[in-house]
Amino acid sequence: MNCEVAHERIVAAAYGELPDEQAHELERHVTGCPECQEDREQLLALKVLASAYPVVEPDANLVARSRLRLEEALDALPPKRWYERLSQRMTNNFASLQAAPVGVCLLLVVGAGMGSLGGYEIAQRHAARAAQAVQVAQAAVTRQEAQAGPAEIANISSIVRQPNSQMVEVRYNQVTPQRIQGSLNDPAIRQLLMLASENSASAGVRDDSVGLLAAECRDGHGCQGAGIRDALMVALRYDKNEGVREKALKGLEPYVGEDVRVRDAVLEALLNDSDARIRTAAINILEPVEADTSVRQVLHSVANTDQNPHIRNVSRQVLSRVPEIQ
Amino acid sequence: MNGQKSAEERMQARAPEMELIREAQAGSRTAFDALVRQYEQQVLRLALHLTGSEHDAEDIYQEAFLKAFRYIGNFRFECSFYTWIYRIVTNLCLDQLRRRKTRREDRAVVLDRSGDEIDLLASVPDGRSFSNPAKELDRKVLGERIQEALTKLTPRERMVFELKHYQGLRLRTIGEMLNTTEETAKNTLFRATKKLRAQLAGLR
Repeated sequence: MNCEVAHERIVAAAYGELPDEQAHELERHVTGCPECQEDREQLLALKVLASAYPVVEPDANLVARSRLRLEEALDALPPKRWYERLSQRMTNNFASLQAAPVGVCLLLVVGAGMGSLGGYEIAQRHAARAAQAVQVAQAAVTRQEAQAGPAEIANISSIVRQPNSQMVEVRYNQVTPQRIQGSLNDPAIRQLLMLASENSASAGVRDDSVGLLAAECRDGHGCQGAGIRDALMVALRYDKNEGVREKALKGLEPYVGEDVRVRDAVLEALLNDSDARIRTAAINILEPVEADTSVRQVLHSVANTDQNPHIRNVSRQVLSRVPEIQ
Repeated sequence: MNGQKSAEERMQARAPEMELIREAQAGSRTAFDALVRQYEQQVLRLALHLTGSEHDAEDIYQEAFLKAFRYIGNFRFECSFYTWIYRIVTNLCLDQLRRRKTRREDRAVVLDRSGDEIDLLASVPDGRSFSNPAKELDRKVLGERIQEALTKLTPRERMVFELKHYQGLRLRTIGEMLNTTEETAKNTLFRATKKLRAQLAGLR
């Protein structure tokens, strides 16, 4: 045995990892080799020195803190969809049956089915939207077409010069301003208001439309089927003007208890809205669902991380007001 | 809440680990929580000693068990659950160590949650040194020197030394956890001790 090998084996031996026959051989070498004896002593010294940085037991507070944080995170995970649970169960079972290829094929079939179902739903939604747009256009035509303003040219679609002549054919599209009058119950009016809430470049117009739609919701004038609630949620999430967002929030208030999507939209506003007034209003609106785990999760986060001290306070108050539900 | 606690305890007492794992795989949160309780102390102990920071240890705990929750369906009983969990933890720790290397953060002392230093040596019972303040200071300095020397190792060397010297695992287990062979782990240990001895040469 040469010293290089011996040095490696000394380390192994010091940690109880040297097979017995090699240990015996090593011992014989070291006994006759001062250099290797020195090496072994240094290694033992290192082991002693290393204990100057001992392993400590994590204290009970650290364990409790960590566990609590984990439980909250696990509580906040969305429940698995039925197809996720099914595919997981299939993966578990099929793996143990060594029938992976079959499982994969079945999963592919299920997955393809899910994919097309999802696509079908999206296509349906688009179709519904297109149908609505067509309806609005028709309604506009059948109503007063008073005072159509001077037509603006929107774009030029083609220019064709006829051969051997000075004649040119130009195709262009025109924008014709229209006007429509009707009551708030009129579905056509409502649809236009919803379009206005998303599409108008003018904050004033968006503000008016959202205000009207919100008033409809608060008065309970049947605002679910026609997608008004959706329009308000979109306005709350995306509108750049805080007045508009505030009106949208007020309109959604009656539905925070019964509609999970509304609740989640309000929670998002509480977490992400840049305006403190809106975040405060959101906390108040969440009162009927204070005890929900996801609401509490968000309130915890807000109580710790919101920039505004008043909001942090209010969150803490709400949390302490409602007992924890396990 | 009380009823739920005793259900957990009963579950822990009765069910051998394999049952717990199967139930957790089937979606039982109670079973998963019981598994967490079985391993959380070790996970924290390792992460705490490796990173030297309660805050980092907590983060590693969180990530490790969330990952375990997410991927427990993939556990095929081909290794022990202990090895499986430790594999997750050591990988997260390695990521941490690598991040530190690139940030060149030198943690010479152990920090608690509020950023204050913990005097580790104060918790180590030693009849000799307590009466001698100068010697106590020496030990503190020594502890810092050790930690500093440890940061000079590569993340893998640091990990192998930690698992072998401080946590007392067998090289074969260490190889499994780090997805390598026992031989490679042995060589890594050898390199680690060589480097450490060079670092601490003046400290006899």
